[in-house]
Amino acid sequence: MHAPRLHWKRGRQEEGPGVHRTLEWIGRNDAGEAIARVVRILGPVWSGWRTYRAVALDDEAKVVELRPSRPDGADWLACVGGQVVGRAPVPLQAVRAAEAALGGD
Amino acid sequence: MPGTPLEKIRNIGITAHIDAGKTTTTERILYYTGMSHRIGEVHDGNTTTDYMEQERERGITITSAAVTCEWHDHRINIIDTPGHIDFNIEVNRSLRVLDGAVFIIEGVAGVQPQSETNWRLADRYNVPRIIFINKLDRTGADFFRAFATLKEKLDIVALPLQLPIGIEDKFVGVVDLVEMKAIVWEGGELGAKYHDEPIPADLAEQAKEYRQLLLDTALSVDDAAMEEYFDKGDVEVATLKRCIKAGTISGAFRPVLCGTAFKNKGVQPLLDAVIDYLPSPVDVPGIAVAAEEGEDEHVERRRIKADPSAPFAGLAFKIINDKYGTLTFVRIYSGTLKSGDMVMNTTKGHRERIGRMFQMHADKRAEIKEVYAGDIAAFVGLKDTTTGDTLASQQDQVVLERMAFPVPVIDISVEPRTKEAVEKMSLALQKLAAEDPSLRLRTDPETSQTILSGMGELHLEIIIDRLKREYGVEANIGAPQVAYRETITRPHTETYTHKKQTGGSGQYAEVKITFEPLGRNEGVVFDNKVVGGAVPKEYIPAVEKGIAQQAETGVLAGFPTVDFKYSLIDGKYHDVDSSALAFEIAAKSCFRDGMKKASPIILEPVMDVEITTPSDHVGDVVGDLNRRRGMIQNQESSGSTVIVRAHVPLKEMFGYISDLRSMTKGRASFTMQFHHYDPVPRNIADEIMAKSA
Ligand SMILES: Nc1nc2c(ncn2[C@@H]2O[C@H](COP(=O)(O)OP(=O)(O)OP(=O)(O)O)[C@@H](O)[C@H]2O)c(=O)[nH]1
Ligand SMILES: [Mg+2]
Repeated sequence: MHAPRLHWKRGRQEEGPGVHRTLEWIGRNDAGEAIARVVRILGPVWSGWRTYRAVALDDEAKVVELRPSRPDGADWLACVGGQVVGRAPVPLQAVRAAEAALGGD
Repeated sequence: MPGTPLEKIRNIGITAHIDAGKTTTTERILYYTGMSHRIGEVHDGNTTTDYMEQERERGITITSAAVTCEWHDHRINIIDTPGHIDFNIEVNRSLRVLDGAVFIIEGVAGVQPQSETNWRLADRYNVPRIIFINKLDRTGADFFRAFATLKEKLDIVALPLQLPIGIEDKFVGVVDLVEMKAIVWEGGELGAKYHDEPIPADLAEQAKEYRQLLLDTALSVDDAAMEEYFDKGDVEVATLKRCIKAGTISGAFRPVLCGTAFKNKGVQPLLDAVIDYLPSPVDVPGIAVAAEEGEDEHVERRRIKADPSAPFAGLAFKIINDKYGTLTFVRIYSGTLKSGDMVMNTTKGHRERIGRMFQMHADKRAEIKEVYAGDIAAFVGLKDTTTGDTLASQQDQVVLERMAFPVPVIDISVEPRTKEAVEKMSLALQKLAAEDPSLRLRTDPETSQTILSGMGELHLEIIIDRLKREYGVEANIGAPQVAYRETITRPHTETYTHKKQTGGSGQYAEVKITFEPLGRNEGVVFDNKVVGGAVPKEYIPAVEKGIAQQAETGVLAGFPTVDFKYSLIDGKYHDVDSSALAFEIAAKSCFRDGMKKASPIILEPVMDVEITTPSDHVGDVVGDLNRRRGMIQNQESSGSTVIVRAHVPLKEMFGYISDLRSMTKGRASFTMQFHHYDPVPRNIADEIMAKSA
């Protein structure tokens, strides 16, 4: 079985009424530094005169990445150091993609 | 209080394409749960749920049958449904009242058209489901190929909980990916004996891969489970099961199991999965009440939760007439009911007294004195309750969401062999039509013949057979005809004044009605726009009645008129000479005159046809479809067979089976089902009108 290398904890949750889905998982190393993040693709987001599918917003509530349409079958993005390193339909697969991108140690 | 706590009840349906093995699986379930002491076989005509004579003779299921069994301290109510499209009403009404479903998929062919149709039906009613890939013992069976068709045909996230061990005649058991063990059947005692083993070495790698897929997908529905996984690198079986259940109920993914019902392997784990993953009546959000007239269809509506101490609410979903009288099957959604209680039929607006109540087991019944939320029971002696009606407590007169019924597309005329049987036949047909909302009955106004409309030739054949066996009426039938419909293509407003002076009191009514076209399948909609009492309130129902009656006979060729809206915008009345009858007559005449000016057209049913043919005959098959005004939708080959999918007018499909056989030397087969109504081409419209003139 695959054993995670980082310590993954729930990040931000959805706000507002109802069920609060987790919007991101944050992977920290043993020293507690946030190394990688797995973020849920949200949307549509309205920006200017177009609507976009957008990925989850980052800490400063900036839009991390906009694209005209959601990549097919990929609801989660794996990010390491601000870079998108993979995408997956479910968060656990994105976690593996993030860890794979970190390379062997 | 109820015998079984609500959370230990499962109300499930078994549904699939024809011959996938639903009845065979149900039969095993009854045996392993101790409800029967031998296993019946469809081909021997002795299964529990195929109890009708016609079912036993033909080896197919025609009517849905409810049975009850116990498994690991839970009560499972099961409805075995037919696969043939002609009896789709049975699937429709069952899915409507069940909390979960098992979809059986054939291990050789994968997802077949009827499963697809039923899948969409289950989507419509939001029924949680699990999938059982059956017949893995058959030559040519392939779990992974059948599995792939789930994504291809149904576009779902299918999630294997098991992998097969061996295949075809070497199929011996399954790998259980939840508990990571092998389950192997021992052969003897009709599959009642099986044991756990370590996963065979040659499957270890594959099992690991699929286990990871299972974790990835299932845990994503539950953050706490994800955390457990991040902490330990795995999760407890109980956590995984909790996630699978949550995802099954929400529809995030669809669990897949496998086996061979006929060779008695895989059925017990299927039962375990029913208990572990399909919802109990309290796990579902509750049934929605119907939208009020004029209310937006899409707003979130009140839901009735399963609660035995709340006011009573139930839905009548099936009616059968037998020698003891009329049995009305009711799904109880909330409350408790005793025989002798009074309830409201809130759909029709009258009271009903509850007589005797029964728990049904196929065609056998056991009397019960009380029923509770979550139960399915049959009531005797309701006076006027039909399929789809809500029964509710007088304290809380809710109306539950109605069911949608399939559209009958084939007409036949029926005539009793003897004059004496006229009345008997008419009564019998009324009873049969009351049982079956996909059967319609009307009288042709010109020829006075009785016309039966049904789902297909087999459906009508069975009705005629039942007429003879159950009611002793021998009938002559005409050749099957297409059930055409009429509609209009542009709006028109018509004013009609009905005036008659015969001696004493006269008749007077004037109506001004706007007729407008609606989209396909939108039915007939009435809008009362009269202001200031130009037509007094008490006459409005008479206008509606007149239009409803006249719409049965379209203005072009006498076929029922559908998909239009009519608004009563104005009218006149007379204090003395106006009456309900006068308004009814005025409405009818207004319809006859007005519809002619609203550019009427004739509609014909177009079928979705799927033909499976050896590839060397594809050219002939496609060429022939083109001659039948067919539109090819899709052509796919798998190995040496090709599947052709086309939309073809039903009119061109009569006798198709014999043409197809001779074209392909008997090697091709086809299925078809109603798809939509389309306007008929000019030349054919002329032909139809000439015939009806
Ligand atoms: N080889 C094999 N045959 C099976 C299996 N399950 C069912 N059958 C056979 O397939 C045929 C159809 O089975 P049924 O159980 O009547 O199928 P059904 O889905 O109930 O059919 P309808 O109700 O008519 O739609 C019968 O001859 C069964 O014996 C199986 O697992 N393996
Ligand atoms: Mg059957």
